[in-house]
Amino acid sequence: MYGENGYTLIKELARSEDNLPPYNAELVTHISREIKKIYDENQIDAQQSINENIEASILNTIRVRNAVTKRNVRCLMAYHFNRLKCLRTMRWEFGSILPADIKSNLSTAEIEWFSKYSRLLANYMRSIGEDGVNLSIDLKPPKALYIEVQCLVDYGKFDLNDGTTLLLKKDSRHYLPRNECEELIRQGVFKHII
Amino acid sequence: MEDLTIDDLDNISTGSDDHVQITPAEVIEMMEEAWTNEKFAPEILPNKSEIVDIILDQITTMEENIKKLSSSDFTKSIYQLEVDRLRFLVSSYLRTRLEKIETYVIHILKEEEKRVERGSEKYLTEQEFEFAKEFSFTMEQYFDKMMRFYPGVPADTWSNKIIQPNNNTFVFLKSKKRIEGVPIDEGNAESDLVDIQDGSRVIISYNSVAELVKNGDVHLI
Amino acid sequence: MDPDELEFLGEKVYVSIIPTFNNDGIHLISGDLGPFRASLPVNVPLWVAVSLKRQKKCKIQPPDWMDMQKLEYIKEQEKQSSGFTKMPSDHYMVEAKLLLECAPDDIPRADEVRTIIKDIWDIRMSKIRSSVTKLVKNSDFYAAVDNLTVMEINSVRPILPHALDHLFRMKNTEKTRPTQSSNVSSFLLSKRASTSFHLSPVTSSNTED
Repeated sequence: MYGENGYTLIKELARSEDNLPPYNAELVTHISREIKKIYDENQIDAQQSINENIEASILNTIRVRNAVTKRNVRCLMAYHFNRLKCLRTMRWEFGSILPADIKSNLSTAEIEWFSKYSRLLANYMRSIGEDGVNLSIDLKPPKALYIEVQCLVDYGKFDLNDGTTLLLKKDSRHYLPRNECEELIRQGVFKHII
Repeated sequence: MEDLTIDDLDNISTGSDDHVQITPAEVIEMMEEAWTNEKFAPEILPNKSEIVDIILDQITTMEENIKKLSSSDFTKSIYQLEVDRLRFLVSSYLRTRLEKIETYVIHILKEEEKRVERGSEKYLTEQEFEFAKEFSFTMEQYFDKMMRFYPGVPADTWSNKIIQPNNNTFVFLKSKKRIEGVPIDEGNAESDLVDIQDGSRVIISYNSVAELVKNGDVHLI
Repeated sequence: MDPDELEFLGEKVYVSIIPTFNNDGIHLISGDLGPFRASLPVNVPLWVAVSLKRQKKCKIQPPDWMDMQKLEYIKEQEKQSSGFTKMPSDHYMVEAKLLLECAPDDIPRADEVRTIIKDIWDIRMSKIRSSVTKLVKNSDFYAAVDNLTVMEINSVRPILPHALDHLFRMKNTEKTRPTQSSNVSSFLLSKRASTSFHLSPVTSSNTED
């Protein structure tokens, strides 16, 4: 049925919420062909209807074809546009270098767009104020610089930047500068208590 | 912190040529207001780059001072936290604008052009304008490439759809003075007028109050 | 608005603390704090109070209204009034959350305070829900929300503005419903080629037709 591919294409994108599915070049080509085919058919009929007496049935056919084409174009644009929007979000999340598994799902044109956008954004951020502002950090309002952590293992001695030394025992709780314990949280020594 | 003297701060000054004495605390308050206004207004608002620049300067100075403090000084974390808060405020404000610029790029550039022709105040900063132009160009390039499959199709008739902000959207605001005769937009030709009291809070169509937001009589919340 | 961002706005409210340290003053960009003298109360923004409290450098004096007797009264008033009463602070929820979280030892009857503030919030939220329904049913395109605090306003966002947007749009399309469009004729006439495409998402809420 006319217009069905367009629907499939949009559905495919909508289904996969956050992660970008592989660029469906095959379906895009199908839809493009459909647009071209219907357009040509309409051109012929339209030409005819100008030359001869306009028959109501032809007019209706033209109307329906016109609507299908319109819909197809909209689907294609929405598909491409929403993929770019997704890529944009990724630029803010991952920075200018995309993870390989994401990159492999993109079309060449998308990769090209991404690097252009990336450059554009970097230029803009550099141009703010005297020495630029990195807008891709400070995404959330800052919370206290100190956080409470629970020690999950018997770690032993731990030196803080202010010169004090802590003895980290299993299940002991500490109130520490966030930046100094982030590493140990990642290593699984600490658990952040919220 | 000592008071700042700001000479040509159009958005802030009272219109006289006198120097306006303004404290950094007041600048921060203006920044907060600009931030929430920008967050809740559907369209992009006139830029507040003077305020942004002042705050960025203050941050730089403060960061220099923080470096001089010993790390055992517990006040260091307070100074640092304030800097982080201000940095968040400014970044979030600029990000909000950038998102609008990207979403409504064609519309925004068109409107900006009209403002330039009229000789009225520009909304975008020079840097934002530069970004908008380039962004619009990359989008156009990309879609030209993607939609090239059917030469001759009169695409204009159905796909020349520019995304533009919905300025009929409803917003909450707090009034900073008594305002008389605000039209309630109901989509009718004639609309009811309403007076908004100083300090009161209302929900109303953005269209009705867009100018009041821009001139600072009300504050979106 | 993000709850974190509301908290950010609420954190600038001043509270009184009793420092356990001596310091000549902290000179922030937003203004000078202190001098601090051990056991002498001094006002600081909430974010500073929380940070000092976490470093065990102060006791926090809860705001006047964070007191069972006062809160009982507020709750009773709120129950009896058909409208919204004025809250003692525009950021009462943020203040309550942060102080109860970091300084429960400084707030008398902290657990009861927590419960009663939640009660007050709930009473107000149910009023908000019924007012929203009324507003939408009447399709009023204007309403005063004077005594609502920012967090309460945020709780009806985006539902209420969106509902009104839709009502507004419906009202307008009723009037300006286009006559069966002249698509066909324009299709027949329009022979010029064009590649000028603009962006168009599938949802048409923000597009101009």
